[in-house]
Amino acid sequence: MLVVTGCGNAAETKNETQTNGGTASAPAGGDKTTLTIANATDIESFDTHNNNNTMSEAVLVNVFDYLLKNDAEQNKVPVLATSWEQVNDTTWRLKLRDDVKFHNGDPFTAADVKFSLERVAKDTALKQNTYYKHIKEVNIIDDYTVDIVTETPDPIMLNRLSRMGAGILPSKYIEENGIEAFLKAPVGTGPYKFSKWTKDDRIELVKNAEYFGGTPKWENVVFRSIPEASTRVSELLTGGVDIAAGVPSTDIARIEGVDGLSVEQAKIQRVLHIIMRMTEGSITADPKVREAIDLAIDNQVIIDSIAGGAGIPTRTSVTPGNFGSDPSLYETFEYDQERARALLKEAGYENGAKVSFSSSVQYKEVAEVVAAMLTDVGFEVNLEILEASSFSEKLNSKKFSELFLLGVGNSLFDASNNYNRFKKENAAGETDYNNPEVEELLQSALQNMDLADREKQYQKVQQQFTVDRPTIYLYQMKGIYGIGAGIGYTPRLDEMYYAEDITLK
Amino acid sequence: MGKYILRSLLQMVPVLFLISAIVFVLVHVTGDPVNLMLPETATEEDRAVLSKALGLDRPLYVQFGLFLYNAVQGDFGHSFHYGQSALPLVLERLPASFQLAGAGMLIATLLAIPLGIISALKRNTYLDLFISGLSALGKGMPNFWTGIMLILLFSVILGIFPVSGKGGPEHLVLPAITLGAGIAAQMTRLIRASMLEILNQEYIRTARSKGLLETVVIFKHALRNGLIPVVTIMGLQFTSLIGGTLVTETVFSWPGLGQLLVSAVNTHDMSIVQAAVFVIAIIVLVVNLLTDIVYRYLDPRIKYS
Repeated sequence: MLVVTGCGNAAETKNETQTNGGTASAPAGGDKTTLTIANATDIESFDTHNNNNTMSEAVLVNVFDYLLKNDAEQNKVPVLATSWEQVNDTTWRLKLRDDVKFHNGDPFTAADVKFSLERVAKDTALKQNTYYKHIKEVNIIDDYTVDIVTETPDPIMLNRLSRMGAGILPSKYIEENGIEAFLKAPVGTGPYKFSKWTKDDRIELVKNAEYFGGTPKWENVVFRSIPEASTRVSELLTGGVDIAAGVPSTDIARIEGVDGLSVEQAKIQRVLHIIMRMTEGSITADPKVREAIDLAIDNQVIIDSIAGGAGIPTRTSVTPGNFGSDPSLYETFEYDQERARALLKEAGYENGAKVSFSSSVQYKEVAEVVAAMLTDVGFEVNLEILEASSFSEKLNSKKFSELFLLGVGNSLFDASNNYNRFKKENAAGETDYNNPEVEELLQSALQNMDLADREKQYQKVQQQFTVDRPTIYLYQMKGIYGIGAGIGYTPRLDEMYYAEDITLK
Repeated sequence: MGKYILRSLLQMVPVLFLISAIVFVLVHVTGDPVNLMLPETATEEDRAVLSKALGLDRPLYVQFGLFLYNAVQGDFGHSFHYGQSALPLVLERLPASFQLAGAGMLIATLLAIPLGIISALKRNTYLDLFISGLSALGKGMPNFWTGIMLILLFSVILGIFPVSGKGGPEHLVLPAITLGAGIAAQMTRLIRASMLEILNQEYIRTARSKGLLETVVIFKHALRNGLIPVVTIMGLQFTSLIGGTLVTETVFSWPGLGQLLVSAVNTHDMSIVQAAVFVIAIIVLVVNLLTDIVYRYLDPRIKYS
């Protein structure tokens, strides 16, 4: 309610804001050398192997390089590695650049690659370990050539090497000073060097004049953490920040009303799921009930009313840009209230079908609208809204009953990541989904090095999911960014901020 | 007096022990941090391995014993979230918290003392009514709303103060007013009530009948006693500000202890929670002791045995 009050007043002050537009655009003159970006949360640490959120990676990619990275279209492009080839099913050979220095002057060599990848692969206490633990060893062929050897064939090794846990750290520096010292004064090979971090306030980076990829564009890059959305918007309006992430849809008009400022919407790698329990004896074990739930929900209405239009309806979570996507299931949804009512009757629930539905506070409004839609077709919904930490606790200990709402991301850009939850071993006790045919496809695709065949396997799984419905999808989310005057920025699907790609117009 | 202070300091030891034990148990029974640290794709095996690596597989009393042994030496363990020692992370937030709480208290005091005195002296006049209305308003406005309104007016429209963040003294003004307004409202009412009571007392009437100047009566005789309950409130408010300015810190993106503590609770970062509660407990105990000492200065009749 308070948010509404704040926004109402914001609208009233819009005229004053417009006359103040000069102030807003003033700092973004031609001699502007500092780029300031505001996020809702701070990073976890400068240890790229021990981070678990996208916002951290979005900052760290400016300090640490990967061997290769995704360009804006998800193509793999060289960074620290110049080329890569598959020697056999379990070995990848990479050639490295020989002209790279860490920020402390140490040269970058194969030893750093061995140190970094083996650290994240072997240290089980690191948050990224689970994505890299099947790397058996990294062999140094010469100073600028390495072989990465895996336990089993891994078709998505390149996806792994171009994401957070594969950041290359300075082996000599860490071995000599220890990881705590490194975290206080982190050193990478990236275009920007660490300068200062005031936690929950700001991270200051300065340009690395010796960057191998040419002189960086900005003298300084500042990442500020501003948890309150209306404060982020106010900072943007006053020119305090150049880019503000997570703009509430209610503030879009307010930003666009100021001369020079703009709002960009961009798809992100997160799809809202309603996950259903198929355990024998639970009401959602009945396929008719699951279908009725799917048909009862008008995805577009939720997108328009709750997300301010910032979403795309989908019947799969493997959205375009990810390996294995099936475009026929994208930008579409099923909605038929009459049929939903009929299905409930057929299933024998004429006098109300009781389901419990859990959500974290983060998606409270979506959950409430979904619950209302389900009630409309004859369900009796017991809605449970949980605090973030109790939701995670219940989720990971598999304590939810019939339905729960979950936003699921995919930093691997591969369909395998979408289905881990539904593999028989992981589904036990949660969805209890068990379709032997799907299980075989999923297991085979994990090690299938024939990419064309692998893609077909995942498309088959997606089609089968629209029949089995162990989960239904609401929509792919979009990020809403406020962009300051004179700043050129196209938000990316992976939500990274490569400062080098952000320009002065 | 010296003996009193020494005894108070010694009494803090069992209190701190008790607080640590309660927090330790609460943090450990409310959930397994391993679940929050691992990605969704983690297997049971991953959980077991990480649990062992963090020592969470041992019996609770062993974990508590180790915790106490280390805590006495200032080691509250590693923050899961930041991968660094917990105590320094908490201590580095203290200056920001003290700055904000101090500035808030200063603004509250500067507003409340004159307003409270005027209100009491001019009781039942329009001025008194106006001040009472003002303090009712100050008490009723949620910090969240006050903060956002101040930002809109003074930053977005007038451009006088920065919107948020921690920097020079100019960054402190709006959050301090936000915090101070609510406390000032409460203090004004308290000072008014306390002054009214004292002005009716025998010794004030005696002082007046002796023909002392009104200002001497008010400031030398009445105010000194009238401030005693105010000191209690200031002590209480200050300690609650140190750990509890979360709303204001969030609105103004101020990197204080409140933000750290709440995000630690959300991520189940046990060592940070334990270290933060411990540090806050010490501050509360010390501020309470200081409050007692100021009492004695204001009213020498209070004896400490």
